[in-house]
Amino acid sequence: MSTLVDKRRIDWAGIAFAVVLTLVIIFPLIVVGTWAFANVWRYPAIIPQEFGLRYWGTTLSRQDVWTSITMSLSLSLMVTLLSCIICLPAAYAFARMSFPARNLLFFSFLAGQAFPKFGLLVAIAGIFLHLNLIGNFWGVVMIQLVGTLLYMIWIPVAAFQSVDRRMEEAARDVGASPFRVFWSITLPQAGPTIAAAVLLSFVGTFYETEGAWLIGAPAIRTMPVLMISFINNQPVIQYGAVLSVLLWIPSFFAILFARRVVNSSSFARGFGG
Amino acid sequence: MTDTPAGNIAQATSPAGDIVGTRNRWYLGLLLVAAPVLLVCWLIIYPIIAAVVQTVWVPDADGVNRLSLESYRFFFSDGYSLANLWITLWTTLVCAILLLLICLPIALYLRFSEGRLPAYVQALAIFPMFVPSIILSYAFIRVLGPNGMLDILLNAAHLPKIRSPYLTPWGPVIGLVWDHIPLTVLILLSGLGNVSNQSIEAARDVGAGRLIVLWHIILPRIGNSVLVAASFAVLGIFSAFTIPYVLGPAAPEMMGPFMQRTFRELYDPTSAITQAVISFGFCIVFGLFYVYSVARNQRT
Amino acid sequence: MAVLEIQNVTKTFGSGSVRAVDDFSLTVGDGELVCLLGPSGSGKSTLLRMVGGFETPTGGSIRIDGDDVTKAPPEKRPTGMVFQSHALWTHMNVFKNLAFGLKLRRLPPEEIKRRVEAILELVGLPGYGTRLTHQLSGGQQQRVALARSLVLEPKILLLDEPFASLDQHLRERLREEVRDIQQRLKITTLFVTHGQDEALAMADRIVVMRDGKMEQVAAPDTLYREPQTPFVAGFIGTMNLAEGVVSDGTFTRGPFTMPVPVGDGAAILAVRPEALGLAPGGMGDIHRVTDFGTHGIVDVDLPDGFRFKAMVPEAREWKAGQKVDLKPRAFSAYRDNAVIYRSQAAS
Repeated sequence: MSTLVDKRRIDWAGIAFAVVLTLVIIFPLIVVGTWAFANVWRYPAIIPQEFGLRYWGTTLSRQDVWTSITMSLSLSLMVTLLSCIICLPAAYAFARMSFPARNLLFFSFLAGQAFPKFGLLVAIAGIFLHLNLIGNFWGVVMIQLVGTLLYMIWIPVAAFQSVDRRMEEAARDVGASPFRVFWSITLPQAGPTIAAAVLLSFVGTFYETEGAWLIGAPAIRTMPVLMISFINNQPVIQYGAVLSVLLWIPSFFAILFARRVVNSSSFARGFGG
Repeated sequence: MTDTPAGNIAQATSPAGDIVGTRNRWYLGLLLVAAPVLLVCWLIIYPIIAAVVQTVWVPDADGVNRLSLESYRFFFSDGYSLANLWITLWTTLVCAILLLLICLPIALYLRFSEGRLPAYVQALAIFPMFVPSIILSYAFIRVLGPNGMLDILLNAAHLPKIRSPYLTPWGPVIGLVWDHIPLTVLILLSGLGNVSNQSIEAARDVGAGRLIVLWHIILPRIGNSVLVAASFAVLGIFSAFTIPYVLGPAAPEMMGPFMQRTFRELYDPTSAITQAVISFGFCIVFGLFYVYSVARNQRT
Repeated sequence: MAVLEIQNVTKTFGSGSVRAVDDFSLTVGDGELVCLLGPSGSGKSTLLRMVGGFETPTGGSIRIDGDDVTKAPPEKRPTGMVFQSHALWTHMNVFKNLAFGLKLRRLPPEEIKRRVEAILELVGLPGYGTRLTHQLSGGQQQRVALARSLVLEPKILLLDEPFASLDQHLRERLREEVRDIQQRLKITTLFVTHGQDEALAMADRIVVMRDGKMEQVAAPDTLYREPQTPFVAGFIGTMNLAEGVVSDGTFTRGPFTMPVPVGDGAAILAVRPEALGLAPGGMGDIHRVTDFGTHGIVDVDLPDGFRFKAMVPEAREWKAGQKVDLKPRAFSAYRDNAVIYRSQAAS
């Protein structure tokens, strides 16, 4: 099995990595989780003086929290929906049809990856300025939509390409029209992977902070944007902690359902690895 | 699920159209891809070109457009702008070096071991991908900030408090490294996948020690992956916004917050876009190399 | 019931440079099973796919019961295809796989259920409806694929190397089953294979294809005994094909001579191993003797290195290194890709 790490000896390197990474990665998040359920936690106590759900009530009764939750959900749903509508047919075309400049157009989605993201956002904002899309819901939708394109096209293209062409032919053979074949065979076959792509794009949009802050502020306040102002201006620590826990829920679903896509070796290759 | 999330488009060849009954109807394919392609043209390619044109082709006193490098001259003669550029370059360099120093050992360990402990280590290394950077920033303040968890623990052990990195240049460095660990590890691990066990065993067989194997066998093979990981980190860190905005010092500030402030608070889009174009310039080599690497992986 | 007529069908790929099928004509009679046999790249699969509607011919026409279906899409044709990789829909169970086509025809649910159960009975998988496709063995999957085509009662059944992915034992059993079912239903069938055993065991007639053209069409026994070209002779069974020269009514290749009553010129002499007798002599050396128990195969090398294979009833009578004469009991001679002579016993 191992060539560099000897099997018989205790895996000290592994233990060291595990301990350090647990401390560095998990510990800070546990601290945040603890704050969310602390009614009273005054310095220098190591654990809160009083646990409880008091701040959940107060956080959830804040108008700005509810507005941001609604805003985040409607933005993410709108962006994901639009992304599905324009990207899935395109992905199917890239996977299954031939047309001029197909490869060039396919790789054009990489264009955004060659530039530092915030610089690109500023350049786009310069254009939105003339179109009155600054501080506008649809401006934020557009900017977040662009962010989903690459993976909403590339992952479904791979999913469509991995569907056995003969399964589709067999369906034509028993009398299904091309559209029916797509609906009854191709889509269900490619479904799980496409669903993962859709989920990842929803979660990615939900957490998108920079475009929303640059283009949307102050009218559009998503949960991450509200979180920034909590960090900067809110003296009650628990509000931020409760919002953090709420904010993490979509990620939890992403871990549950999209983990296999992220862990597959070709996912890293998609990032150039 | 699939093993090729972004598979090999070059393989799908022309008879493809047959099954969907679209043979010879190439315009249908173009029609289907038109919306996202136009979106890319309108919101990525056009803004970049417009940004460059807009900053060098500016109206003069008479309102006539003419070639002028005035806004760039201002940036490179303004002490504050240069300080911001300097802190950005410093942060990017330090983060890239730290990321490689941290992630290469993790990736090497994961590549050459199996079992439950490495699986746990891998899960931990990938976990930050599922933590949005804003939550990370908040957690950072709660742990390393003034009177944070670390101070509490030090106090309990009767030790002096730390000098908090919060609102110093080291704040963004720590946050950005944390944020970039997962993809750096994944990219390096994918590169290490190309190093066969036999080639290492053969080297060990002729008497090479571990360091020799690492230096002469493994590193030459993954050199490209290291460059890709570094490029990806540089692109992400150079114009990072959220983490430096929340965790970094107010002045000097990194290019991300600097651009944001210039655009939204100083209402000076031309200067902000000039700063963006300068960021493009500093990253263009990394950007092109990174895109080239991704595209090449798609083909093979 | 149904007659398939293929007339002058041509299929070119690219810019006409590759002729996958070249001016091919064939009529498959009602209830007949015809095998398309040939090496890979001979155009047999392309031809089958054109009948199924998955490729459009560049020229020529395809008729089923007199109806021109040349340009019809697959869903508009009365054909049912069984694919090499079975191509079952893995997201549906067996019942749904079989019912899909019936549902498209808007049959009532009871009727669908009845017909699916009947067809599962026919292919020997009663009660398998609720299984998922990956819970089936390779042979069972291929039976379901066959049932999926048959349940729609197609006029023409198309089989595209359906047993290629199965092991030898299973392949032999399935081809008997498929032949039985085909004969019971009397369904007109076109079958593509590159295995001559399969073709000989199943077909009423075999079409040997080469480079997109029909080399010969005949019943299996005729094809074996009277191959029209050296290619067919070499492709069906084992055949010694010796190139040589005929002059004054004698075929000569090195020390090997044989009276052949044809005109002078180059010729190919074709002898089956079982029709090649051996006698002590000096034409060639025995290279190797292989004992199969029931018979033996003796490899005899001519001085120029050409190797004959001869079947002998008793392998132990022959030893490697022994010098022998070759005595064909029955043979054919070919010139310019056609038969010029067939000895009495050969026909």
